[in-house]
Amino acid sequence: MEPLIAGLTALMDPNLLVLLFAATLGGVIIGALPGLNATTGAALLLPFTITMEPIPAIAILTTIYCAATFAGAITAILINTPGTSASATTCLDGFPLAQRGEAGRALGMATISSTVGGIISVICLMLAAPLMARMAYNFAPPEYFALTVFGISMLATIGDGTPLKNIIAGAFGVFLATVGKDLLTTVERFTFGFNELSEGIGFVPVMIGIFGISELLVQAERLSVERRQVFMKAIKLPGREDYARVWKTVLRSSGIGTFIGILPAEGATVASMIGYNEARRWSKKPEEFGKGSIEGIAGSEAANNSATGGAMVPTLALGIPGSPTAAVILAGLMVHGLQPGPTMFTEQATFAYAIFWSMLLVNVMFIFVGLFGAKIFARVTFVPVQILWPIVFTFSIVGAYALDQSMLDVYIAIGSGVIGYFMRRFGYSVVPLAIGLILGGMLEKRLGQSLIMLDDQWWLMFARPLTLLFFVLTILALFGPFFWRRLFKQRDPMVSTGE
Amino acid sequence: MTRFAVPTGIIAFCGLAFWLSTQFDKVPPILLRGMQPADFPQMVLILIIVLSVCVALFDRPIEHGRIPATVWVSLALFATFALAAQVDLFLGLGIFACALAWTWGERRPWALGTVAFVSPALIFFLFDQVFNIRFPRGLLTNLWYG
Repeated sequence: MEPLIAGLTALMDPNLLVLLFAATLGGVIIGALPGLNATTGAALLLPFTITMEPIPAIAILTTIYCAATFAGAITAILINTPGTSASATTCLDGFPLAQRGEAGRALGMATISSTVGGIISVICLMLAAPLMARMAYNFAPPEYFALTVFGISMLATIGDGTPLKNIIAGAFGVFLATVGKDLLTTVERFTFGFNELSEGIGFVPVMIGIFGISELLVQAERLSVERRQVFMKAIKLPGREDYARVWKTVLRSSGIGTFIGILPAEGATVASMIGYNEARRWSKKPEEFGKGSIEGIAGSEAANNSATGGAMVPTLALGIPGSPTAAVILAGLMVHGLQPGPTMFTEQATFAYAIFWSMLLVNVMFIFVGLFGAKIFARVTFVPVQILWPIVFTFSIVGAYALDQSMLDVYIAIGSGVIGYFMRRFGYSVVPLAIGLILGGMLEKRLGQSLIMLDDQWWLMFARPLTLLFFVLTILALFGPFFWRRLFKQRDPMVSTGE
Repeated sequence: MTRFAVPTGIIAFCGLAFWLSTQFDKVPPILLRGMQPADFPQMVLILIIVLSVCVALFDRPIEHGRIPATVWVSLALFATFALAAQVDLFLGLGIFACALAWTWGERRPWALGTVAFVSPALIFFLFDQVFNIRFPRGLLTNLWYG
């Protein structure tokens, strides 16, 4: 109870509250801007937080995460362009509603569902993260190694690429993490005589490159895309009838989103898809879905926002990112010298609870931002890309330089951006690369420690029940979807004939 | 063509990295605890090679359109920025931002001025004054640093 109150007290600094409100506005703008999303926004703002104290720094990043995830719905509803991929399913019903002159009702429902989903997930985070951390308290290096392998195996199902390509991208990230001094032997690897590389490739320039600069090149392909805005008179809160219709959907999707978020590497996009599908499956009027169903908006938005809280559970409790943006936040924790994991809830409990409270607060803040500012923020979408992206590039480069004040980081950011663009073009998602880079160092360290502990008899890892469980889960994560698909194809002739 | 070209490129890169990893210093066996420094990167590289072979053989190829000229121009501007940044980081940023906006179709002088002068200047002063970041000396930054 004491850390809970201490965390709240730490957050009650008026300067910090103003900063968080500004971050909420910033997050909503980032979520509404074309091509920018929560992950890119967090990566671009990471350098700004470096000179701050850990609580405001990480609170800003989590605020950006929550606010930008919510803001994707604004553009999804008003211009049929999801601000973030997590709001793609919101387009399906939000835009048809907006075209019927009910944009205000759709935005109102998106705001309320997002807030409820977000608050439920943060409460789950407050309860589940310390429990999960306590469970992990007795983990030895082999358990941690197996857990990290499991976290990396979840990369197969995220991102835009196929599972094989996602794992290659993740493994490439792990490979990049081997650059620099070997932690156990201090032998230099792949440094090519650059002293700056001795400490390894920094997370920040790579993240800025693969999320920010590569997006600039993607936007260069889409210069001719036109955006059409639906006229909106005012936000109209959903009526009592709407609430009566959607409350079960909101609760169900919040549960789904939180659970999906807790799974390592899965994020808001997967949550919103499942939340939307389940809303349709349980609906009394499934025929309305895709044509302007208020339940569709509630199902998608409650799920994607609740995934933000869920994703923070493994991030803080185990040091395994629950989503791409959580990976950036994890990088932020590491840059500040904080060690996520079981000790976070004993040695840095005030910090952990301050982050929980900040997430709760931002979910309340964006009720006001969403209800009163949506009309204004929707206009942000019309900032010409010709002006926006040169400024984003300037921010990216200065941000990449700022961390270590090294020009090498600037070139790493540009190189990562170019690599990221070609990866995306050839179907290799950049998200696994980022997560692989973050987890790579941990993976190698824990493997090395395990081998020392087991006296080089690696097969003894399989004799430890929890380690074995994580390896089995890894195999299920890698091959499960493949077998499920085959099983469904055999059982469902409609699927097997492709009808 | 990319079905085989991309995995081949990845395999070639991994082959080169694998060879480089064989040049790492080795820890004498008597002092060794755990793995040699090259072991872990080599394991990862082998995994990437195996998976790339699988991609080439089993993955469904994706249809790619041609890379638009604007992307090539943007890439060329990256190179220009890298060269100009040798003279001054903010000079490079100004030139890049202005040229990028121009090549993407922006013609309004105020917009070009904003991206070329106003935003780099604001970002410079934000980082210099608020975050106390010291930028590398150059043609323009010397005007401020003296």
